[in-house]
Amino acid sequence: MASDLEPGRRSEVLQGTLEMLALKLLSVEPMHGWGLSLELREISRDVFDVNQGSLYPALQRMLRRGWIRAEWRASDNNRRARYYVITREGQRQLTAEIEEWERSSGAVNRVLRYALQGG
Amino acid sequence: MAWYHEVLSSLAALAGKRRQDHEMDEELRFHIEMETRRNIDAGLAEAEARRRALRDFGGVERHKDDVRDERGTSWLFDGWNDLRFAARSLRRRAGFTAIATLTLALGIGATTTLFGVVKQVLLTPLPYAHPEHVAVVWSAWKGFDQTWLSYDEWEGWKARVPAFADIAIYFDGSATIDGDNPERVRVGTVQANVFPILGVRPIVGRNFTAEEDRPNGPRVVMLGYGLWQRRFGGDPSIVGKQIQISGRGATVVGVMPNGFRLPVDYSTNGPSEAWFPLATDAAQQGALPGPEFPKGGASHGFYAVARLAPGATAATANAQLRSIVAELEKFGYMANVGFHAYAVPVEEQITGRVRPVLLVVFGAVGFVLLIACANVAGLMLVRGESRRRELAVRVALGAGSKRLTRLLLAESAVLAVLGASLGLGLAATAVRLLRDNAPASLPRISETTIDWGVLGFALVTAVAAAVLAGVLPAFQATHIAPAGELKEGGRGATMSRARLRWRQSLVATEVALAVVLVVAAGLMIRSVRNLLAIDAGFRPDGVLTLRVSTPSTWYPDSIRVAAFWSELQHRVAAVPGVKHVGAVRLLPLATEMGDWGLQVEGYTPPPNQGTPGDWQIVTPGYFEAMGLKLREGRVFDARDDMNAPLAMVVNRTFADQYFAGRHPLGGRVRIYGGPDSLARYTIVGVVDDVHHNTLVGNVKPEFYATVAQFAREPGNTQRSMSLVVRTDGDPAALAAPVRSVVRQLDPRLPVSEVRTMPDIVNAAIGGPRFAMEALGLFGVLALMLSAIGIFGIVSQVVASRSHEFGIRAALGATPRELVALSLRTGLRQALAGLAIGVVIALVFTRAMTTLLQGVTPTDPVTFAAVVLVTGLVAVAASVGPARRAAKTDPARVLGSS
Repeated sequence: MASDLEPGRRSEVLQGTLEMLALKLLSVEPMHGWGLSLELREISRDVFDVNQGSLYPALQRMLRRGWIRAEWRASDNNRRARYYVITREGQRQLTAEIEEWERSSGAVNRVLRYALQGG
Repeated sequence: MAWYHEVLSSLAALAGKRRQDHEMDEELRFHIEMETRRNIDAGLAEAEARRRALRDFGGVERHKDDVRDERGTSWLFDGWNDLRFAARSLRRRAGFTAIATLTLALGIGATTTLFGVVKQVLLTPLPYAHPEHVAVVWSAWKGFDQTWLSYDEWEGWKARVPAFADIAIYFDGSATIDGDNPERVRVGTVQANVFPILGVRPIVGRNFTAEEDRPNGPRVVMLGYGLWQRRFGGDPSIVGKQIQISGRGATVVGVMPNGFRLPVDYSTNGPSEAWFPLATDAAQQGALPGPEFPKGGASHGFYAVARLAPGATAATANAQLRSIVAELEKFGYMANVGFHAYAVPVEEQITGRVRPVLLVVFGAVGFVLLIACANVAGLMLVRGESRRRELAVRVALGAGSKRLTRLLLAESAVLAVLGASLGLGLAATAVRLLRDNAPASLPRISETTIDWGVLGFALVTAVAAAVLAGVLPAFQATHIAPAGELKEGGRGATMSRARLRWRQSLVATEVALAVVLVVAAGLMIRSVRNLLAIDAGFRPDGVLTLRVSTPSTWYPDSIRVAAFWSELQHRVAAVPGVKHVGAVRLLPLATEMGDWGLQVEGYTPPPNQGTPGDWQIVTPGYFEAMGLKLREGRVFDARDDMNAPLAMVVNRTFADQYFAGRHPLGGRVRIYGGPDSLARYTIVGVVDDVHHNTLVGNVKPEFYATVAQFAREPGNTQRSMSLVVRTDGDPAALAAPVRSVVRQLDPRLPVSEVRTMPDIVNAAIGGPRFAMEALGLFGVLALMLSAIGIFGIVSQVVASRSHEFGIRAALGATPRELVALSLRTGLRQALAGLAIGVVIALVFTRAMTTLLQGVTPTDPVTFAAVVLVTGLVAVAASVGPARRAAKTDPARVLGSS
């Protein structure tokens, strides 16, 4: 049952990745929550499908930190939807996170390569 | 950093909470609808499409909560919501709320009151500038642990103790403020540097000058603030004017600030309210001028205060005093009596005796608070049991454990606020009662107030109580597994063992704490009984006393004074209900008495020692009125008038010490007066020892002379005496008629210190009595709270095991067996608590050693009695609910499941 997962106990890594991915998607174009959720599911091959609702607290957190802002617009099928737009601050954050990710994944890769060759 | 985003968005969230909630609802609705449509497009039926959308979203309400949390203001709103919710749910259970509030109020109220007292007595600085640099100085010798200085000693310490920057002497007494409504007030007679040493300046006018503090200087006076307000309307122009005091004019030179006290004022009845310059010198005092000391002894009659030199402490001063006294002993001053002199920091002098009393009582009140918290925690646990279903539903609907904790803590917080409000009301009442009834022997208690500091303390106490009482139930509640809880159907479910054990531990803790308090109370009750059982040498019951002064203006000579007392006694004896009446110079246990040098025929004192006798001046009738026991001979009667042969009554110690092996009756005693004194007395009677200065401790040789005969020596006229009236009825009821007799006889005379002898005796043991009353009250409170706890636990056990009892009854268990089974659960906690409590008490009561009289801190009788009483209370509290188990009807209980 889904409610067995208590708030705050989700993996920190997953949480951080979710934010990075959302920022990346928003850096291409402003999107609404459901659109983001759909894209995330496709990109991540349904890893984020477990709990669509957990996207919204993450969005709220990024709003609070000023990485994104929200505005109401008409959606494709002409309904009122809340669109999220990346801010300059969010752009900077994304760049920093991607660099950090590359640095650490590069290190892991080097370790793995060494382990495979040296072993 | 984008911290300002955080702040701005928090503020925005704060400003537009409703709008934001609305937007969030719309956004999530949009999400679900889009998802549903997507599922329909994928080929699902509409209902199934919607169900799956909701499932995949994963708990709309929970995510809403999480979003709110991310706004950064949730704590505020949720806190407020939790409080509102808690208040609502508490209102629904008025009984529970009332009991919990009252329990907390008692705990918080008692703790706050005692903190107020501790703050006033121990933490508020004395009304002196830098009291840490002020010391009082005492002399001491065999039989006198703390007594006055002689003039020579003052001169000597002033010149020879470098640790004293300055030292000054004073004494106290009383005087009459004359006028239409004469008033007797306590006065101090001080050297001009007493006030500068204490670091206190007059608020109006000036201090005494050196000119005024000199023999035959001008008669001047300084007024206390209270007296100035009361008699002179607080008029600053009083300075420079003459007022009439004790029949003579005195010029007011200054007014001291409100709350000013001489150090000695803290241990006597009421503060001094007017001060005269001491205006004396060595010649007048019969002392050697300068730092010289005479061989032999000297007359001791001055209090002393000193200001410590920079860097010096009382210990430095004492080291210097020791080496000077060692020299003096070799020289022959006060030799062979173990003379020494010492300084005590003024704070220790004033609060030193009361500190252990207060700390013990304050510790005890902390225990009461703990018991109250444990009790409320227990009540909340029970309440938690009955609402587990509600909480389980909340968890199932997605409430997080943090949320539940907050909710339950909010309840205890609301309870604590209610308890603190009521508790402050209780504390205000208690403080008022304390102020009105505080014995004079407990300094400064009568000044206790509830100020911001005390309010702050009450707040902290309330917060601590909320956490203590709320944390355990909250911890319990967060371990709810909704599935299990809801499946059980929530009725008739057996309570989990762990939960019951928590509650049992709480009850055992309460009993243990109560045992400690009751043991402490028991020890104090025994001590006070021991103190009261001491034969003080007189019978205080049924005795009224009041002080009357006969100023020299209207009673210029001793003949008139003696006539006045004779007439007054005659008239008071005629008041209905009066059995005996007499008068005395100093009431026992009310005012300390010093001694007089004597010469006893046939007795030679050891070298360098005098033949001192405490001197007591009485009228015939005093012995009967005070209830002294005659051992030999006779007491004074009408025969012993001014012209009769000088007669003396002595106490047993006098007879034993100065007439060892000889017959005291007919013995001849000379009282040292002037150089050509002819006052030779004949002993006519021996009475039992009266404990005059303190109830415990040694009694000194004492002699009694009549007011008429003693005044035959010039200067020996008694200006002020206490009337002693004995009745078979209530002595306080005689106050009004006796006062009116005095008024009829001479309306100009002030009457003061109207008190009953039992009151005086009680005041003399004020410290232990205060401790006894406080600890007794707390002990009863603790037992009551524990009884409620035991009652609760047994009720709970009986209720939760009704199913099991039903089965047992069906299998043939008798009602008696069921009752015994339930009783055992309650008594097991009580026994555990008793055992733990006794062990804790054995450790803690050691802190009370200084308060105890004639009983050890581990007194087996007290401990046995406490075990018995607590055990009986536990049984009594268990029996009621346990008997309900006997009424278990197997058919009904089993049928209902």
